[in-house]
Amino acid sequence: MRSPFGWFLLKRLAQAVVVVFFVTLIVFGLLHALPGGVARGILGAQASNAEIASFNRAQGFDKPLPVQYWMYLSRLLHANLGTSYKLNQSVGSLIASRLPRTLVLTGVSTAVAFVVAVPLGVWQAIRRRRLADYVITTGAFVGYATPVYFLALLLVIVFNADLHLLPSQVPGTYNLGQLLAHPSVLVLPVVTLAVPTIAVFSRYTRSAVLDNLSEDYTRTARAKGAPERRVVGIHVLRNSLTPVIAMLGYYVPVMFSGAIVVEEIFNFPGMGLLFWNAAQTSDYPVLLGVILLIALATVTGSLLADIAQAVADPRVRSGLK
Amino acid sequence: MTSAPGAPRRVLGIEALSVTFRSPRAEQVAVRDVTIEVYPGEIVAIVGESGSGKSVTALSTLGLLPPHAAQQGRVEVDGLDVRSLGPERLRALRGARVAMVFQEPMTALNPAFSIGWQVAEALRVHDRRLSKREAMRRAGELLVLAGIRDAGRRLGQFPHELSGGLRQRVMIAIAIACDPKLLIADEATTALDVTVQAEILDLLRSIRDRMGTAVLVITHNMGVVADIADRVIVMKDGRVVEQASVDDLFERPQEPYTKRLLAAVPRLQPHPRGTRLLEEVAVPTRPGAAGSATPTAPRAPVPGAPDLRRSGDVLSVEHLTVEFGARATGRLRAVDDVSFSISPGEVLGLVGESGSGKSTVGKCIVGLVKPTSGRVRLWGEDLSAASGRSLKRLRRRCSVVFQDPGSSLDPRMTVAECVAEPLVVNRSGSRRSRDARVVSLLESVRLDADLRYRYPHELSGGQRQRVSIARALALGPELLVADEPTSALDVSVQATVLDLLLDLQAKFGFGCLFITHDLAVVSLLADRVAVMHSGRLVELGTRDEVLFNPKDPYTQRLVAAAPVPDPVEQRERRQKRLALAGGPGPGAEAGSTGQAGGGE
Amino acid sequence: MTRGTTGGPGTGDRSVPAAGSSPELGAPRPAVAHRAGRGAGMARRVARDFSRNRLGMVGLGIIVGLVLFCFVGPLVYHTDQVHVNLAQVDLPPGHSGHLLGTDDVGHDILGRLMYGGRNSLEIGLAAGVIAVWLGTLWGAVAGYAGGWVEGLMMRIVDAGIAIPALFLLLVVATMVTPTVPMLIVIIGLVSWLVPARLVRAETVSLRTRDYVQVVKAMGGGATRAVFRHIVPNVVGTMIVNATFQVADAILLLAYVSFLGLGLPQPQTDWGGMLSNGIQYTYDGYWWMIIPAGVVIVLVVSAFNFVGDALRDAFEVRLQGRS
Repeated sequence: MRSPFGWFLLKRLAQAVVVVFFVTLIVFGLLHALPGGVARGILGAQASNAEIASFNRAQGFDKPLPVQYWMYLSRLLHANLGTSYKLNQSVGSLIASRLPRTLVLTGVSTAVAFVVAVPLGVWQAIRRRRLADYVITTGAFVGYATPVYFLALLLVIVFNADLHLLPSQVPGTYNLGQLLAHPSVLVLPVVTLAVPTIAVFSRYTRSAVLDNLSEDYTRTARAKGAPERRVVGIHVLRNSLTPVIAMLGYYVPVMFSGAIVVEEIFNFPGMGLLFWNAAQTSDYPVLLGVILLIALATVTGSLLADIAQAVADPRVRSGLK
Repeated sequence: MTSAPGAPRRVLGIEALSVTFRSPRAEQVAVRDVTIEVYPGEIVAIVGESGSGKSVTALSTLGLLPPHAAQQGRVEVDGLDVRSLGPERLRALRGARVAMVFQEPMTALNPAFSIGWQVAEALRVHDRRLSKREAMRRAGELLVLAGIRDAGRRLGQFPHELSGGLRQRVMIAIAIACDPKLLIADEATTALDVTVQAEILDLLRSIRDRMGTAVLVITHNMGVVADIADRVIVMKDGRVVEQASVDDLFERPQEPYTKRLLAAVPRLQPHPRGTRLLEEVAVPTRPGAAGSATPTAPRAPVPGAPDLRRSGDVLSVEHLTVEFGARATGRLRAVDDVSFSISPGEVLGLVGESGSGKSTVGKCIVGLVKPTSGRVRLWGEDLSAASGRSLKRLRRRCSVVFQDPGSSLDPRMTVAECVAEPLVVNRSGSRRSRDARVVSLLESVRLDADLRYRYPHELSGGQRQRVSIARALALGPELLVADEPTSALDVSVQATVLDLLLDLQAKFGFGCLFITHDLAVVSLLADRVAVMHSGRLVELGTRDEVLFNPKDPYTQRLVAAAPVPDPVEQRERRQKRLALAGGPGPGAEAGSTGQAGGGE
Repeated sequence: MTRGTTGGPGTGDRSVPAAGSSPELGAPRPAVAHRAGRGAGMARRVARDFSRNRLGMVGLGIIVGLVLFCFVGPLVYHTDQVHVNLAQVDLPPGHSGHLLGTDDVGHDILGRLMYGGRNSLEIGLAAGVIAVWLGTLWGAVAGYAGGWVEGLMMRIVDAGIAIPALFLLLVVATMVTPTVPMLIVIIGLVSWLVPARLVRAETVSLRTRDYVQVVKAMGGGATRAVFRHIVPNVVGTMIVNATFQVADAILLLAYVSFLGLGLPQPQTDWGGMLSNGIQYTYDGYWWMIIPAGVVIVLVVSAFNFVGDALRDAFEVRLQGRS
């Protein structure tokens, strides 16, 4: 671990661990911020004091807070997220069955968004302050400003209610294989989720390309006699893409936020819908388990993003020394 | 030199060129009616200060001006009218017939590609049939031609792994890839240390000698001009002021501007005490102004100035060592066992190249960097042991001026607030007395007192640096640490600021640590000189000993490499330097890798 | 979907490593902007550069228009937004003098847009300001303190960002019945993280500026460095970010009702109207969906246009400085 890169990795990992620790604190605190405690939420306002006391004993809620936190942490370290109050299943297995479907949804729409957004952003940058730039900029801001569920409604109204082209609901029993066998059910959810992502990534690409276009090395490439498409397509793009790809890592929590809305609207049987239904029934172990998992995914995402930047960009690499 | 018109065909002909930058906010004429010719095998220098239009002129020859630049006139390269070429033919011209080397070797290469790839690209964009392997082989040859010894290993390296000098050699390899008729070097040595600069100039000269390439050197540095140019074009405010052969220009400058410019260049020579660069120093003679006394008898305390002789050394630095970086990744020793002292009223010049650790020493003295070991004593008191009121008292007596006039003043504060800040921080005086003090301080740095209501961005670089000096003088310091205070300034502005510093030092008698890379500046104002190299103090002595009879081999090389603004003398110095280095030609540079050092 | 963590289309620009800030290739920077700006105050120059930005001016126009619509509109167009009127439910636009029809309890939609818009704008504005204010304080202190204090403070921000706001709000929705002040606080509390990161990054870079170093060298304390030098110099960043934060707060508010944390009837906001319309997707009652959706898109993109133009204006100023 004498190498700067190894040292950087170690430091970054330690930071990630600290962040996860804070997340567990927040999640634990959330659980105990419930008015009247968890028991009231689950058993309802009519529950007798004896019922509540026995529930609390069963869940260990009668112990002092630090002890409870310690129990919570040690359960987590054994990959035990608890058991759902309502579904009589471990939270771990509930998430495991739904996560792949959510990953398909978010993965496909991120890929679609990336493929559309990067060329758009590059195009805008080279047509800066021209009509195309203004039009795409406006489109990006409008796309960004549209609440996902409003966009979903519009798409449903047009493509389902009016044109009868695409299904608006995913059958709740679909497993991963069936989902992939019927891609038409994926179209509207994927598009809905991709639009705001395209908005964000095209803007980001645009500014990255603009920054690199004003770099000295761009002028060097031109002075060599490199044609403009080579200057942009090779010199500039190679350097602009690194931060954009890293951005994917930082984008994880936003993508999950979008997924929760999209899954609710299209009845898509993923983790978001699980979370949504758990919120309606105050199924706290599920809520907290999902939040923790997403926080872990976020921390991992930004860790990977940082590492990717460090590996791909010699400038960052040398900055580590 | 083949400036005789008629005989060979010119490689560059600029006729009545004017360039105007148009933006929604302003219209600015950058170049006005400029006519320039360059012939094969000739080295022509365009010299001028910032805003003279010299770089814009250079960019126009490659058709590289931005779209909002409106041009008039004719630019002809190797018989082709650049302005009439379409994009494809313009592209074919760039790199092939005319090539350019830019100022910043740190940013001019693409960080994401290996240098071999980047040199090979210069070949391949002009010869599509060239195979990758063949292009890479020729790239290796070009690196050798550019004086890079172990070219085979360098091909696969990335720009950040090379030193500034090596990167500039890579840029030159790219530029000569297609054997251009004209090579333009736009401030190509400005960002480099003097020893590296001398080698790059040698390389450019040898390229001209071997390949017959015409070279157009764009520079602000009269020493560079004297070293390399056959013919000189002086530009100011977008116009050509004077054209002459290099010997004529330096011996018999015709235009007043050229004369002023040459006079403003500090020379590396044993200046008699009390020398000023510009004769006609305008000292404000307002009634009641504090600075109305004509500077006389420098170094002797003026009556009324605090008598500093009693207290022994103002500053003593003892075995100072500074290390940076985490212990785990290996620490970098920026300053290594440095000791020196400054007596009252003395000016010590601290000289070194980038990464030598000279700035870090300055920061230790003003308490911005903590020494890893060793001591900084101010008036006998240990700075790191002082705290609370005694620390504050020490700090009152010692102040600092930094290099960059753009960042040393808070852009949200008026000039008056900036200058008064030390007074406010140290609770000195009432609001009214502070205002009076600001006025007198501004007058002592020869600024109009009305400027105190302005913001820093409304001032020029030279004015801003004067404000910094006024602020440094606010509490009547007995020690001034000046870190490259004139390096970011144009030469004529630098001259006025240097004269000002000399006058103020004579008047107030403060001790001064003057940190700089410029030996000529040191020869003008230092009593004693200390030379630093790689964190160590290699030589310390009186000015005349160190600069004109150096003992240490590094100091000898440094002194030999510093270009003097006199072509005849420079030719002699070059011969001497090459003898010292053990032979002419490229490949002189050892080729260090990695960062330039974290000390500065 | 809100930008929550990443900073959205606008703020994302800042985190790109910006080596050359001048977009104009090869143009000689020093003299131009300098001469043009001589004598003019900073605010005036920002205002002038802003006014030259077409999209920014359009955005400003939309915001002014919507504010007038919400706050002056009801003086001209009188409607009852309190009482349920079962005789006039689900009327299409133009029917019985209701320009945009009525909703499922008989409120006039146009009047309700004005009435709900007040809540949307007020909550968005207040929450955005709270977020920037909190974030600036947190970021400036962390950035200037450095060392382990900075590390700890920024890890807390990281942890906050790792829990997406929508998930948090959905959990909160199971616990409380919202009021306007509560929504302001909740949205403010989930939105201060991004500004905190921005301000910290800016502070770290300002901390090494010579003029802050000089203060240290002359014996000035940390308080002076932070409040006299660093905070005034991040004002530009704060103003730009505040604009984006208001946009985000209004957008987040639009999700709040969708998540079941909406204001109780008869109060409402644009998001409440929009999510209320969802149940009529298949009934063809488009007037319960489209108008509310459109004003949300309008106001959020307008604030983004303004923020984008402001950032450009401030950056021009920065260029002129050096």
